[in-house]
Amino acid sequence: MENNEILNESISDLFKNNYDDSLIKDNKICFTINEQLYRVRMPNQGEQSLTEYKKNLAQLEYLKQEGCITRSQLIRQLKLNNVIDIEHLEDLKENLSKELKRFWFLLATKDSGDKTKILEYSENIKKIQESLQKLSMDMAFHLSPSLESRLEKFYVEYITFICTEHHPNSEWKKVWEALEDFNKADTSLTNKAIANMTWLLLNRR
Amino acid sequence: MDIEKQIRQIAKSIFWQNIYKSAKEIGSIQLFENTSNFSGLQNLFLFWLSVYESLYSDLIQKEYKYLDDKVIDDDIRCDAFLYWRSQMRENELHKYKVEQQASKLKFKESGSVSTFNVDLQ
Repeated sequence: MENNEILNESISDLFKNNYDDSLIKDNKICFTINEQLYRVRMPNQGEQSLTEYKKNLAQLEYLKQEGCITRSQLIRQLKLNNVIDIEHLEDLKENLSKELKRFWFLLATKDSGDKTKILEYSENIKKIQESLQKLSMDMAFHLSPSLESRLEKFYVEYITFICTEHHPNSEWKKVWEALEDFNKADTSLTNKAIANMTWLLLNRR
Repeated sequence: MDIEKQIRQIAKSIFWQNIYKSAKEIGSIQLFENTSNFSGLQNLFLFWLSVYESLYSDLIQKEYKYLDDKVIDDDIRCDAFLYWRSQMRENELHKYKVEQQASKLKFKESGSVSTFNVDLQ
């Protein structure tokens, strides 16, 4: 290989490895809305404790409300009223997971030269994963009125309220002073902040 | 591109694999700006760093017939290989346990056998 070729290959490798690592360089995620810079950051210990405390208060509040229903009660009600059978969906998910493992096994034992089979099995795997995702979303949608889902939502929203910051005068400051301000805020901002916070907290709870 | 795919791409890059390896060997190299309170994404990144490190190690040692660069590049094939490898390891572990149990049942001195005359009347 000539020097020129080696150099070109090295440069191309360098670019290949130059991925955007802003997602992991620190425990924050930056984003822009209407050309304004915002960030969500990981809550510290005190903020997590405060949010747990507020969540417990919210639970007491929710329990007093008419129509408050737990996850298991809601599953029963949905089945009794012929809306949706969550247990059946759980079984479907289990069967799809078994099928996914079967295709993984088949795909893993294919040589890279066997392109037709690799493509066929990969397509099957993609379809199964999409079905699994759809099932999970269906279940989450139907179970969203349950006490557990509402509390989970409250937790993420409260943490987002505390830990979303903007950068008005070269200094990071809290966007909202009170939870009411957060609840009244533009949904394009709050939804984006909640989505980023969900990623930031991934598997941490 | 979805976030997990992005995280995996960064984790499998030679650049980050080298940093990870050096951080483990030298110790004083910091991977992130923060040294504590890692985010879920950072934990996920650390998980994939170690997974790809083990895959590159298997690849260099030619440990598995079906593992090559193309498998590591393709996330679906990579997931499939990781599942298959975990099953193989589980089978090996199970086989080892069965062998260990069987060896415990054997006589300590297999050559020495005693005989007795029995009067059945």
